[in-house]
Amino acid sequence: MLQSCSQNGAKTLRLTMGARCRPIQLYYCVQARQVHNTPPWRPATTLDEWVGKEARPISLRQLMVFGRSLTEARLISSANYVRTELPTRLAHRIRDMQTLPYVVVTNPHISQVYELYYKAFESLRKVREIKTLEDNEKFCKKISQTLQEHLTVIPKLSMGVIECWDLMKPEDMDKFMNTILRSRISRRVIAEQHLALTETFNSPWHFPDSPNASNTGTEFVGEVFLKCNAGEVVNRCYNTILSLSSATYGATTPLPALKLSGHLDATFPYILSHLEYIIGELLRNSIQAVVERQKSSPRGWEETPPAIEVTVCEAPQHVIIRVSDQGGGIPHDTLQYLWSFSKGPRSSQRLENLTQVPKMAATLQELRVSSDIPTSLHPPSEPHEKSEHSGAGHDSSLSSLSSRPPNLRLGMGLPLSRVYAEYWAGSLELHSLEGYGVDAFLQISKLGNKNEQLTMRASMDAV
Amino acid sequence: MKLISRPLRPCDWTILPQCPSRPFSRPASFARHPSPSAHKWSHPPSSTTIADDEVANLASQPLHALSLADLVKHGRPPLCTEALFSSANFTLSLLPIRLAHRIQALRNLPFIVVSNPNISKIYNNYLHSLSTLLPYNTKTITTLEDEIRFTAVLADLVETHSHTIPTLARGFLECRKYINPIEVTRFLDEHLRARIGTRLIAEQHIALHISSQPHQDPKSTPHPVDVDNSSYIGVIDTALQPAAIINSCGNFVSEICELKYGVRPTWIIDGEPATTFAFVPVHLEYIITELLKNAFRATVESGRSHEPVVITIAAEPESAADIEKALPRAEPTDNPPIKPFEESAPGVTIRIRDRGGGISPEVLPNIWSYSFTTFSEDDLPGQAPGSGSMDALNAISGAGGEGSSIAGLGYGLPLGRAYAEYFGGGIAVQSLYGWGCDVYLRLKGLGRPKG
Repeated sequence: MLQSCSQNGAKTLRLTMGARCRPIQLYYCVQARQVHNTPPWRPATTLDEWVGKEARPISLRQLMVFGRSLTEARLISSANYVRTELPTRLAHRIRDMQTLPYVVVTNPHISQVYELYYKAFESLRKVREIKTLEDNEKFCKKISQTLQEHLTVIPKLSMGVIECWDLMKPEDMDKFMNTILRSRISRRVIAEQHLALTETFNSPWHFPDSPNASNTGTEFVGEVFLKCNAGEVVNRCYNTILSLSSATYGATTPLPALKLSGHLDATFPYILSHLEYIIGELLRNSIQAVVERQKSSPRGWEETPPAIEVTVCEAPQHVIIRVSDQGGGIPHDTLQYLWSFSKGPRSSQRLENLTQVPKMAATLQELRVSSDIPTSLHPPSEPHEKSEHSGAGHDSSLSSLSSRPPNLRLGMGLPLSRVYAEYWAGSLELHSLEGYGVDAFLQISKLGNKNEQLTMRASMDAV
Repeated sequence: MKLISRPLRPCDWTILPQCPSRPFSRPASFARHPSPSAHKWSHPPSSTTIADDEVANLASQPLHALSLADLVKHGRPPLCTEALFSSANFTLSLLPIRLAHRIQALRNLPFIVVSNPNISKIYNNYLHSLSTLLPYNTKTITTLEDEIRFTAVLADLVETHSHTIPTLARGFLECRKYINPIEVTRFLDEHLRARIGTRLIAEQHIALHISSQPHQDPKSTPHPVDVDNSSYIGVIDTALQPAAIINSCGNFVSEICELKYGVRPTWIIDGEPATTFAFVPVHLEYIITELLKNAFRATVESGRSHEPVVITIAAEPESAADIEKALPRAEPTDNPPIKPFEESAPGVTIRIRDRGGGISPEVLPNIWSYSFTTFSEDDLPGQAPGSGSMDALNAISGAGGEGSSIAGLGYGLPLGRAYAEYFGGGIAVQSLYGWGCDVYLRLKGLGRPKG
């Protein structure tokens, strides 16, 4: 008989009444935290095989060139690239999660994300080589569905991370979050790009055999918007957030204006939803800061608070967007947690706010038809109608975050924006003038020829 | 490379235990066997005689964490005689150890480097200064004559070492073939920071001495100096107004621009110009001059001199504790900086925004290094006055006694940062290539002494 070592003593249970059974002692251990989802054991060999493969990073330029002259052969080739890349990248992240402390992965939120990933991995790795357009159609449906299911990953991860703040070193946690979010962006980019290309291919105005097969006329190649104009994006984001802010703070609260200057004609290829998310976050922070500064220490800004100054600067290889506000700067005690996913003193508040966001993602359809909030941030004249993507979720996870009310502070706007910025080899820096305001600098590589940054600069381990 | 302070053994020069693998190659002319005379002196010939073990003894004592409060604990000026002696003795207890540490650090540089005449000169300066202080080491100052003599020794020390930086710079430039730039940077970073502290201690006592009671003319009416400098405690001004410093440095630099280029850049100060805080004025003057030099030069050279440089002064709001927790304390070194009066004293952030076209991505990684590596022999200042590569602004440098021969050696930014960081601040540079540059100067206030 095995000795019981549990404090609560052992309970003997007769599992079966058969003659050959022996009573087996079950060890009950009432833990302080309930274990909701003990993950089922799965053999590691399949995963090992995929973890052994290396991810093949792509660049924006490759995305663009590939999609320009779309033929059936190219589409199939794209499908097969996605078919192998997705499980490979998923496998790496699953392995990452498996090496986290047990107590972290069994946190309910993180555990749900783990299950989602495994399920997706299992489903996608079994897809056979795609040879025909019908195969592609089936594959696209599968991807769409997966993208849709994974909409809630970001808030869930964030909640899990905040709840587990004391179970891991913050640097390790941040490294994990950065890697997993980076990889998530990468998977969604290649998946959404392929879906968009399929749609282009299938759309009535696409003639693959015509001499003009290259879409020289359109500004979109799949998800990549070739001519992102910084000035225009900033204006649009600003107007969106302005209406959100008015709704939140009330019509009587004066809001800072936008002052644009610099090389406003600068254009570059980028994934529009990413750019809108980052700029949206920066403007959102600035507007919030100005409004709250006025509230807490009135400066006589009843008529016009100081404008938010945005400067666009174009250099041969980069475009830099500087957002300057007079919102009072970042208080000392939060400065060190600025880029971290596990916030310090404000954790509990952030956690509470995060619980409101998964609901928003689920009601995306409602948001889309709402007339108050311009959810479709793409130019309406574009023949490539984004809203026809039935729940493809190409930007829906971001739009749900982007359309939340300004005072719902999630604490991840900055770190997440930085992940997006650095994904295409750009950067996001912040300088605070405490007592005055904040300057944010977003640097974007103009050429689109830099590969996806699947790993952080510091860690060069295989993705 | 951690410079371990321990006596050098008379050993052959191929072994340098603190750096087991040196990436650069030695000149082949180095003797592999110690020459017979190597035993007699383990350092280049010096003009003073200090016993090796004297230095070793002093250098083995740790540098105590010092705070500004320590430097003014003897009383606010004007000091009475007792307080003056107390200050003198306190200073005396600190300086020899600090000098010994520097000597030790210099001795641990490669032989060929310290043999260079410039470096050797600095090394001998330190030895000389230590030798002038050693006689006082054994006794305490109890008479006014002693105190006056001691202060004269201090003044001599400050004066002798006022050109350390350009001389060291020149020396390292000449030796660049024999020493790794990274090691030079590390040595200079540590040395210059230590130097800031040592000079502060010495100059503080000198300033207190000058304004102290025994040395004021008793017959004069309340000295106007006292009234004006009521906010001064030695070299610290507790009511320093950055805007005033910016304007005076700006005038100085833009005048040179006008003389040499025919264009006078302008600037605007916004934010909170009336802000005051406690700081060391000469430090701030040096930093601001260097930063304005950069901004004005860029503005003029880019042809946009009609656009003013925008300088924003932001005052940290006065807030209670918690700030100490948030501050990342520097890793413990055996060369800690002098701590301010109050850890949580409100500081000031100054942003200098220019439209000078920014810093190109190729140059950007190098702006913080002591750029002795980018110069060729021909560019050495002082060798060919008026040579084409030296522009007018290189010929001036900030106050703080650095001297004009620092010109053009690219020390402005790293040295400015050393000054800013000394009390817990810093400088950050953000370049918008094709547009301009934003420089953020964060200064921690020194606070006010209690009582």
